Amino acid sequence: MFGYMGKILRVNLTNEKVNEEQLNEDIARKFIGGRGLGAKILFDELKLSIDPLGPENKLVIATGVVTGIPFPGNSCHSVMAKSPLTGIWGEAHVKGFFGPELKHAGYDAITIEGKAKAPVYLWIHNGEAEIKDAGHLRGRLTRETQKLIRKDVKDETAQVGCIGPAGEKLVRTANVMFGFNHFAGRTGMGAVMGSKNLKAIAVRGTSKVRYSHEGKLADFLLARLNEKEALKGPYWPSGLYETGSIADLSYWQETGRLPTMNFRKCLFPQYEVISGETLAESGNVVRHNTCPYCYVACNRAVEIRYPYEVDPEYATPEYESVAALSSLCMVDNLAAVMKAIELCNKYGIDTISTGVTIAFAMECYQNGLITMKDSEGLDLTWGNHKSLVQLVEKIARREGIGDLLAEGVKRASEKIGGGAEEFAMHVKGLELPMHEVRGMKGHGLAYATSNRGACHLQVETDDMFEEYLCPEIGIDEKAFPRKCRDKLYAGQEKVKLNKIIGDLFALFDSLVVCKWTVYPCGGTKITTLNEIIAAATGWNVTIDELMKTGERIFNLCRAFNVREGMTRKDDTLPKRFTEPLPEGPYKGEAFPEKVLEKMLDYYYELRGWSKETGIPTRKKLEELELRYVADELKGFGILLT
Amino acid sequence: MHRLIVCNPEKCLGCNICEFVCSAVKEECLDSSHSRIHVVNFEPIGSVALPCVFCKKPACVTACPRKALYQNEKAVIQVDEKKCNGCGWCIRACEFGAITMHPLKKTVMVCDLCDGEPECVEACPFEGALTWVTRKEVAPKFRRGIIINFFQEPIGKSKRSG
Repeated sequence: MFGYMGKILRVNLTNEKVNEEQLNEDIARKFIGGRGLGAKILFDELKLSIDPLGPENKLVIATGVVTGIPFPGNSCHSVMAKSPLTGIWGEAHVKGFFGPELKHAGYDAITIEGKAKAPVYLWIHNGEAEIKDAGHLRGRLTRETQKLIRKDVKDETAQVGCIGPAGEKLVRTANVMFGFNHFAGRTGMGAVMGSKNLKAIAVRGTSKVRYSHEGKLADFLLARLNEKEALKGPYWPSGLYETGSIADLSYWQETGRLPTMNFRKCLFPQYEVISGETLAESGNVVRHNTCPYCYVACNRAVEIRYPYEVDPEYATPEYESVAALSSLCMVDNLAAVMKAIELCNKYGIDTISTGVTIAFAMECYQNGLITMKDSEGLDLTWGNHKSLVQLVEKIARREGIGDLLAEGVKRASEKIGGGAEEFAMHVKGLELPMHEVRGMKGHGLAYATSNRGACHLQVETDDMFEEYLCPEIGIDEKAFPRKCRDKLYAGQEKVKLNKIIGDLFALFDSLVVCKWTVYPCGGTKITTLNEIIAAATGWNVTIDELMKTGERIFNLCRAFNVREGMTRKDDTLPKRFTEPLPEGPYKGEAFPEKVLEKMLDYYYELRGWSKETGIPTRKKLEELELRYVADELKGFGILLT
Repeated sequence: MHRLIVCNPEKCLGCNICEFVCSAVKEECLDSSHSRIHVVNFEPIGSVALPCVFCKKPACVTACPRKALYQNEKAVIQVDEKKCNGCGWCIRACEFGAITMHPLKKTVMVCDLCDGEPECVEACPFEGALTWVTRKEVAPKFRRGIIINFFQEPIGKSKRSG
């Protein structure tokens, strides 16, 4: 099979068995890889309502068809499991050197099940896999672990994905660190690894992926390098190299949509202290980091000596991380924010979830639900940067109040009670990312319906699409007039756009490509991707087929959630968004429940799901060649109309 | 004056694009083992791309027992593929790891500067990472870089190792 290695590695840690399985070409074409392949494996093989932190859960690490093809953005892989944070479909997509290396090591995907008796790590090299003892790595920080493993396996070029102490302690927001600067952050994949006593996965390989038309792929790369500017799409953030994605921070502030004070406000007066421009000019950026085949180098390492000592090996700030740990908690101290990011990466916890959790704790403190006694002397007033840094460490180590907060905002708020639920900003248990939905209505629908909970990367319709059209996939001026693409528009066209982009992004996550480099963010158009897939695999694919594949994958993830008991009543937004915005250009804008319900009605109708329950209908599933999914759901007594 | 490809490790970020461009241009494939330039990543210190350095007295030429290698007037090492039997003495002799075995042909290959317009330098996305300079320009350039690093940049911006 061209474009794939054609093998899946099956690891069972309980009986220490390692098997290989052939990847069927039919499945590869239907589910592509990445999210699609993971959804297929997890839907087929996981039993109903298992404990996400138990040995029955499976961790899938999957590459896609374009992973490893030298072209900017083609270096991603996906990490998937049933999420311990949300109890439903969990996934995270990672860039960097690990994915291509895994493919060169001979496998398209790895699945890990069972639980090892003592800490172990997995060493995969050129088609061989070994389970090795990791007793000496217990409690080690992320980067330390990677360095020690490289020494252990005597290969300085091995790529390592590992968890930090937080993952070992089963912090539900724990992440997995791949390579030196990339994280599978969301939905607590690190806790799944920790629950299996799997400290790390190291890969190294030199096998070659066979492509159908390799010369054509070489031409694509050379053509792109001759026209480097073409990688910049209409929504490309200015200065992704100079300022990183933190450049966005000023944009959100100017347009009055910077989440502040746990989403109570939308303007952060001291935003300049933490903006990307300030950071770039401060001289604290010591290095740029890049992914293979990509010339953007959006990742930067920051070193600060005073007042906090920040290690550039860990501090790699991004918009979401910075906003979650600064404006959301009202912290206006750059060094403290960088220190908090450093600690998150050191111990291996998700920066977004941690930021939202700390903001939640601060609001509880303000309202007397958490007292000085609960927090063991930590003064959790808004903007207290000393507490921010200490609290991150406490959460990562599950010490004191950190033990409670390490469960994520949903569980923490339920335990605290007394109205704390209102301060918990989450959808389906996943903490909100840093986009204010009252000023971008399409995002509201995206948060409510996204398969992994509140997520800004599964559907993105506002801002990005105001000036942008994509006739190849049916987004043209006729179907979507300019006024319907406005941020504040919440009518049927917006819902339609949401569906198309949902399918498109499901495809991107399965290929797996970096969303900075593909339209509408970047300049790689879907037509180019189509040609790359065709040249790599030799399949005669069309854009229609690819979009249909995207829809199939989206529906399969939804079916996974439906099986776990998710219905329409779970597609909600936090109550706070029904209150109007207090300030800024969008003052007075709210996201009333009525609007969401109306959007949902039309959304389910468009998706071909039941309007009452939000469950995919048999007709829809059969249309997407997912008959066995419909049968499976029926077997569980879930009504399919 | 002969010119050579020089990589500045301060600027090189290790994206590997030069390797793939080299294999694409020279062998019409996308495989770094077919490349004549090699990127070495020392995470987290940095990375550097290493092509042939065009020695005045090339050890590879001296080492070849079959006289398959010779240096032309532009200082480029030429490989006579008919004479080369892939014994690998030149690979061991080269102190820079610049000459490598072609994985399929089993003869050695080395940078030929693309007839005076090196494609890797053209393609390198990070300004100043790969440059094509004369031997006389190299030293002052690097000296200048070091001075700038010492005096003009804020302390925090200097490399950690320095």
